[in-house]
Amino acid sequence: MIVAERKPVAEIKNSLAPYDKVLILGCGTCVKTCFAGGEDEVAVLASALRLALKQSGQQLRFEELTVERQCEDEFIQEAGPAVGRNAAVLSLACGAGVQALARRFAAVPVLPGVNTTFIGVLEKPGLFTEECAGCGDCQLATFGGICPFTRCAKKLLNGPCGGSRQGRCEVHPDTDCAWHLIIERLNALGQMDRLKTYVPPKSWNRSLAGGPRKLIRKDHVL
Amino acid sequence: MRTSSLPKITVFHCANCLDPVRVPMASSACDLKFVALACSSMVKDVFLLRAFEAGADAVVVLVCPEGACRYVEGNLRAKKRVQWVKDLLDEIGMDGRRLALHNLASAEAVPAIVDQTLAVLPQSEPVPA
Repeated sequence: MIVAERKPVAEIKNSLAPYDKVLILGCGTCVKTCFAGGEDEVAVLASALRLALKQSGQQLRFEELTVERQCEDEFIQEAGPAVGRNAAVLSLACGAGVQALARRFAAVPVLPGVNTTFIGVLEKPGLFTEECAGCGDCQLATFGGICPFTRCAKKLLNGPCGGSRQGRCEVHPDTDCAWHLIIERLNALGQMDRLKTYVPPKSWNRSLAGGPRKLIRKDHVL
Repeated sequence: MRTSSLPKITVFHCANCLDPVRVPMASSACDLKFVALACSSMVKDVFLLRAFEAGADAVVVLVCPEGACRYVEGNLRAKKRVQWVKDLLDEIGMDGRRLALHNLASAEAVPAIVDQTLAVLPQSEPVPA
């Protein structure tokens, strides 16, 4: 999932200053799962903003709505009437959702209410960890399903640095050493021979370094 | 809408730790409103914030003593959620001390908790109506 976190209330409050009616629009997919932008978070943020604005004697009307996904036009359309009733939209979706909204509603300012942070998983209740850098050239088969590009602080591709202590990274001691995990996993799978293959330096031209990417599925193009 | 000039305290409580009828005396120094929940873990963050929006000067959450929750960890979850909202209140400049959680062993302890809550209030700015 795409993991995000709410922006500070003060920053959001400042961005809303020019408007009198704002739609707070949640997204019911990734950001809901990471407690940043689902229906509950929309309600909490609206309430917190109303209280914060009262403190400073300001008045602003909020409408609350959550759609299933803000990154797909099919779902965004549901928000059309609500968007039309407001002077601006505060989107609690990831950056893709914010931009999809802006594309759909050209005449209404769309403001981000969360900071999109990474592609990750729910490791345990309340803890989300980054697992994928979206590099565009997945090599997880080589590394036993654990990505050293994302999870090794040094992004080493041909074995551990030797600095880990008791399975923990020397750069971030609260984090598991990715190479420790890779070796344990390949050992358990009986695939340690995979590590005999030299992995050349990664080409990042299929990642964001090569510019914004596109995916075309010709069988779905109309 | 506020109907009296007394400080208004909204008390969310687990129905298993308190029956408001058994509270020894209703404090005359404040306007108390009790909201019963089947378990304190049901107290969502938005309920607490909306209590302030509805005019409460302080919000108190009364939960069972630790280790005594009928649903094992409901009171622990409530504690974490209340702390989350206290931090949010601090962030928006409303003073997180307006919100407090207490483990309640018996209804007799409520007046002392109310007094403790009222003692914090003069140091906080009134919630704008």
